[in-house]
Amino acid sequence: MLSFIVKRLISGLTVLFFISIITFFVLRWMPGDPATLSLGTEGTPEKIAELQEVMGLNLPWYQQYYHWLQDLFSGDWGSSYVFGEDVMTLIIQRLPVTLLLAAVSMVIVIPFAFIIGIMSALFKERWVDYIARSLMQLGDAIPQFWLALIFLVFFASKLGWFPVAGYVGFDNGILASIHSVLLPAIVLAIGQVGPLIRIIRSSMLSSLEQDYMLMTQVNGLPKTLAIVKYALRGASIAPLTIIGMQLANMLAGAILVENIFALPGIGRLLLMTVEQRDLILLQGMLIFVTSAVVLVNILTDICYRLANPMIRFGGNHE
Amino acid sequence: MMEKLLQLEKVSIDDGLGRALIKNASLTIFQGEFIGIVGESGSGKTLTVKSALDLLPDHLVITSGVRQLLGKELNGLSSKDKRRLIGAGIGFVPQNTVVFLHPMIKIKHQMIDAYLYHIDNDKKQALKKASDLLEKVGIKEPKRVLNAYPKQLSGGMQQRVNIAMALMTDPKLIVADEPTTALDTVVQRQVMELFNQLNQSEGVSILFISHDLKIVKQFCQRMYVMYQGEIVESGETHEIFTNPKHSYTQKLLSLIPTLTNLSMDKFG
Amino acid sequence: MSKLRQHKLFSLGLFLVLVVISLCIVSFFYLPQDPNVMNTINRFQSPSKEFLLGTDQFGRDILSRIMISSRYALFIGLVSVFLGAVVGIVIGALAATANGWLETILMRFIDGLMAFPGILLAMMLVAVLGKGLWNAVIAIAIFMIPVFSRLTYSLVLDQKNQLYVKAARSYGASKSRIIFKHILPMILPRLITQFSASIGSAILIESSLSFLGLGVQPPNASWGLMLSESRQYMLTYAYLAVPPGIILMITVLGFNLIGDAWNDSIVSRRMAE
Repeated sequence: MLSFIVKRLISGLTVLFFISIITFFVLRWMPGDPATLSLGTEGTPEKIAELQEVMGLNLPWYQQYYHWLQDLFSGDWGSSYVFGEDVMTLIIQRLPVTLLLAAVSMVIVIPFAFIIGIMSALFKERWVDYIARSLMQLGDAIPQFWLALIFLVFFASKLGWFPVAGYVGFDNGILASIHSVLLPAIVLAIGQVGPLIRIIRSSMLSSLEQDYMLMTQVNGLPKTLAIVKYALRGASIAPLTIIGMQLANMLAGAILVENIFALPGIGRLLLMTVEQRDLILLQGMLIFVTSAVVLVNILTDICYRLANPMIRFGGNHE
Repeated sequence: MMEKLLQLEKVSIDDGLGRALIKNASLTIFQGEFIGIVGESGSGKTLTVKSALDLLPDHLVITSGVRQLLGKELNGLSSKDKRRLIGAGIGFVPQNTVVFLHPMIKIKHQMIDAYLYHIDNDKKQALKKASDLLEKVGIKEPKRVLNAYPKQLSGGMQQRVNIAMALMTDPKLIVADEPTTALDTVVQRQVMELFNQLNQSEGVSILFISHDLKIVKQFCQRMYVMYQGEIVESGETHEIFTNPKHSYTQKLLSLIPTLTNLSMDKFG
Repeated sequence: MSKLRQHKLFSLGLFLVLVVISLCIVSFFYLPQDPNVMNTINRFQSPSKEFLLGTDQFGRDILSRIMISSRYALFIGLVSVFLGAVVGIVIGALAATANGWLETILMRFIDGLMAFPGILLAMMLVAVLGKGLWNAVIAIAIFMIPVFSRLTYSLVLDQKNQLYVKAARSYGASKSRIIFKHILPMILPRLITQFSASIGSAILIESSLSFLGLGVQPPNASWGLMLSESRQYMLTYAYLAVPPGIILMITVLGFNLIGDAWNDSIVSRRMAE
């Protein structure tokens, strides 16, 4: 187990390394260098040259990369041109909103996907199954930003059930806070429900075909007990395997959804960063987001191993 | 008069599309017997037995015949009664290659389910019985095994656990479906001797499905031979081996190399 | 999934895709109106005989604009997935047959690429390359690379252990020959179904990019652009968002259904073998 964790961590670090390379190089190719961009209208050729020297922009690329890495590790992620603030500060400011959005979305999607996925497997090829699969396909095909627009107009503006824009902080009460992100969370949930239902359904189906279900029959156990105690067990940990992917999807969705619902989260910040070509901030955010994804993947891999005795103890001792 | 534990009378099964899979199978098992059913793969041995245990896959249809288990006619029973009858009265030991035990649940939880449901909802009692039975089937550290997951045990150990589990409800009949396949010869022998002991000293009847004629010859008093969905021969084992009447049986028996044949060939 | 149901879904998907493709093809020969003509008198008209889907905020015919946009959507979808697939397949095959450190490096690199949430990667590339049609194509193509790499990698690895590959190696066939003549044809079906499934994604991402103003630029048309323009009028004339959204959904659904059904049929065929 320990050796697996170590191996996994190393592999994760390698991935992070490549991520840093990708980010560093891609953004170096962006038109305009940090010096010019940060001086903006105050830039004269002399000032720019001076700043370039100070920023180390004339150094060979590998040295720049090295310095950049050093800064990253020491917590200095630079400051944004547009906001003038520390990248770290900006990210930390916005993070709670996105996290709340993600959490509410998960709370909606997971029970829903489980119920539908399990029902769909138990009643395979019957109408429940058809409805479930249709939901899956629709959820995958609907453009999230379109859904967001429609929901915004219909539920928020026309019906007035939700605030039209903006996020309400925790100091106004948890419920109000959640209420302000509920509609966007539902939109995100609809986008995520497809893959989750798919995996729950398929692992449930495979569970039901296993020989241990024969054992429950031979032991004369009632169907409900057999399903809940035996069939469900495999299906309940299967979603762990795709959580990393779901997280990445959610983030992608959040970029658009936060924009449309005017929520001051990471997604919206990302969008503004790209539009403004705020190199430093963009770099920082990319590293942050992708590292989070990689980390979550590592954690879920380990958790899955822990939760699944089949893998933990795998193989016979013949 | 010995109690009749299982009776199939002219049972026929088709596949739901009109093709007959089992034709007119008749089978009887009395208390205390050790019966073998032999035949090649696909001859219908498992299907026939499953029909007696109400374990047939849903799409198969029983087109005729009478099935009686422990004196009760299966067709007339409710699902609940059937479950009780089979769960408590019959023990089942599978082929060793199937994933009979759930890989993600500890052995102890799986072993006591039938007992808790059919006999007595006393967990402590159930665990004690499980532990005793594990010792009986030759497992020296029952506590360790009870707290283990199936994958942590060797194939032979898993099979012993299966047998112990089958005994939890004190069944009168144990149905064993090729239980020694995939076990090495030493373990095979141990398992067979276990069955034999259960039969001889405790009077548990055993219905033993196998394609291994040597084992059947050694342990079963009576046997049935199946071929292409029909029971082609039945009777006392030694009688069949010395005097096979059906052509298939004769062919089957001729394939077994006997020790005398070998030694004669070798030393002339 | 039963065979019949597979066929039904596949046919449905095919039908939807054909609808969009025909809109596209027809658009080259006939457009109900000139999609770029702005006519302030005709603003915000409801669907009528003259303007089958109504007009937008500039008086332009919505149906014609949708038809034009379909050209871009299909073009970007097909080309970007094709490019991404080619590069991805090469990388995947290389990694699977290379062994050792090359394999590890390639696959970790791919993992790194995969860690960027889809649209984020596209946005990042657009930030570097600039806005516009071709840049969107490149950005989406790069996004597609990991999926195809991973898929090819695992498929080729599977095939490597098959008997026919070992046989080919034993009579001295060169590595590339084995890959191209033997392995590739075997894994092609699965790759093609992935191709189809990916087109849906590509079109979605393209429309997201255009929605954000980072993809197709005016005067070119895109459903995403139409949706972004409709945003201003959400509270006054929300209908503007409906036609582009629906056609977008139909297109993506169509390609997804085809990809899924096709895939299921391959899987079940393999299981039956």
